[in-house]
Amino acid sequence: MPHITLGSLPFENLKRKPFRTAALVIVVTMLTVAFYGGALLATNLKAGLNSMQERMGADLMVVPQNTGTKAEALLTSGSSSTFYFTNDIEQAVAKADGVSQVTAQTYISSLAAACCDEKVQIIGFDPATDFVIEPWITSQYERTLKDGEVVAGANINVSANGTIKLYNHEFPVAAQLASTGTSLDNSVFVNESTIPAVVSYSAKTGHAAIPAEYADKAISAVLVKTGDADTKTVAANIADTVKADGVTGLGYVYPGGVTASTKASLDAIIGYAGLFLAVFWIMGLIVLLAVFASSMNERKREFAAYRIMGATRGMLVGVIVRESATVGLIGGLIGIGSASLAILPFNTLIGARLQLPYLQSGAFTVLALIAAGLAFAVATGLIASVAAAVRLSAPETYLTLREGE
Amino acid sequence: MTRKLFATLPAIVLGALIAVAPQTFAYVCKVEDGMKMACHYTAQAALGIGVVIALLGVIGLFVEPKVRAGLNIAVVLNALLVIAVPTVLIGVCKGAMMHCHMVTLPTLIVLGVLAVIFAAIAVRMDLTGAKTAGR
Repeated sequence: MPHITLGSLPFENLKRKPFRTAALVIVVTMLTVAFYGGALLATNLKAGLNSMQERMGADLMVVPQNTGTKAEALLTSGSSSTFYFTNDIEQAVAKADGVSQVTAQTYISSLAAACCDEKVQIIGFDPATDFVIEPWITSQYERTLKDGEVVAGANINVSANGTIKLYNHEFPVAAQLASTGTSLDNSVFVNESTIPAVVSYSAKTGHAAIPAEYADKAISAVLVKTGDADTKTVAANIADTVKADGVTGLGYVYPGGVTASTKASLDAIIGYAGLFLAVFWIMGLIVLLAVFASSMNERKREFAAYRIMGATRGMLVGVIVRESATVGLIGGLIGIGSASLAILPFNTLIGARLQLPYLQSGAFTVLALIAAGLAFAVATGLIASVAAAVRLSAPETYLTLREGE
Repeated sequence: MTRKLFATLPAIVLGALIAVAPQTFAYVCKVEDGMKMACHYTAQAALGIGVVIALLGVIGLFVEPKVRAGLNIAVVLNALLVIAVPTVLIGVCKGAMMHCHMVTLPTLIVLGVLAVIFAAIAVRMDLTGAKTAGR
């Protein structure tokens, strides 16, 4: 028979009643999975949204008519597409009132070729004027991007020899960027003068991305910085200015609006999840309270015996509190382990399925969430036992013993 | 009986999943034009190791606890191999959006970790059980 001390008593109690302990641990585990898993997902979504806001440096995007939805999808969900103007519009846009800075970008969606050649978004930008992508690229690649070279997003499959095969041509990859959790991760970036070469390679494969006659001047969007001016007014000014040049029917995308609507839907999701979590936690707490209360009722004789053996009320409360804290800790550890296994290795899949900006938080944030999750689990266990502990410490030993008869 | 099932069933189920996953729901890149990517070999290795883990679980049903503890130590080592194959030893395709990178790799890691945990618990249970029985 092992020697049982007051210190080891709570653990022996838990061991001797494996089914009761397992039931309590399961409830705490479920609550911790919901709390920690929900918090981790919400943090990653918020990190993705922040990253998206940082990457959207333009106030206004001028795109060809009826391509606004495609351009928005390109900003948010990462679905690649090709669209372009058939006329030189950049200079005309630059002339409009309220426009403080302009730059042109070209979007080409590559073919989904054989195994491991994915469909990627090729983005042509002008390093001299660009204010959206260039700062992000410069933060990680200091040299100027040469003609024919590409900079690859974080999710791009770069081959072992440092190239990427697009339209059957191997492009040297100058640098690979860090993850942003946005569509930029699935893109490759080339400078504007490389675009005609990309178009000619695409023509060779029989799937010309852009007709040869537009290859030299094709741009997909003019990105505008408006300074202090109202973006809608600037859009109207641009429409008037280009009309004078004989161009009508432009499409306008407001990246700020796209971010705002993504933020609104994200806030709604997080709000509902938070509400669900609160209800779930209260239900779980009620279950725990009920289980603790009924087990305390059953254990009245046991506690009366401790009292007869000389245990003070404080000691009894200590035993209950340590039992419940241990249950909370074990449940918390299992819950955090399970949720981490379900979320952390699958972060790319979750991001791809959510179709929302999703960026895996850093190790420090995850560790902080783990600590918070454990504290939450232990606190839940303690709260559940408080009522039982208070009740148990109140009546006299004799009465407690009689009640158990 | 419960202890025996707890010590063997996870190995059987997880071993079967490790063998089957890369061939089915957590599939790897298809072999096209005879070009076999790293993930193809990872799937082959996982098939072999998964079958071994499942068989160790089946054998565990018919042996005494001490021997079963030994079998579960083998399950732990094989499960560590399941984790090492897609991460260190063979690997998967580099592209983060590739199915093998996005699904197969984490699936094998998770199944491997679960197999290690369950087998380690089973070893402890069988050894302490054997000690108690021997008293």
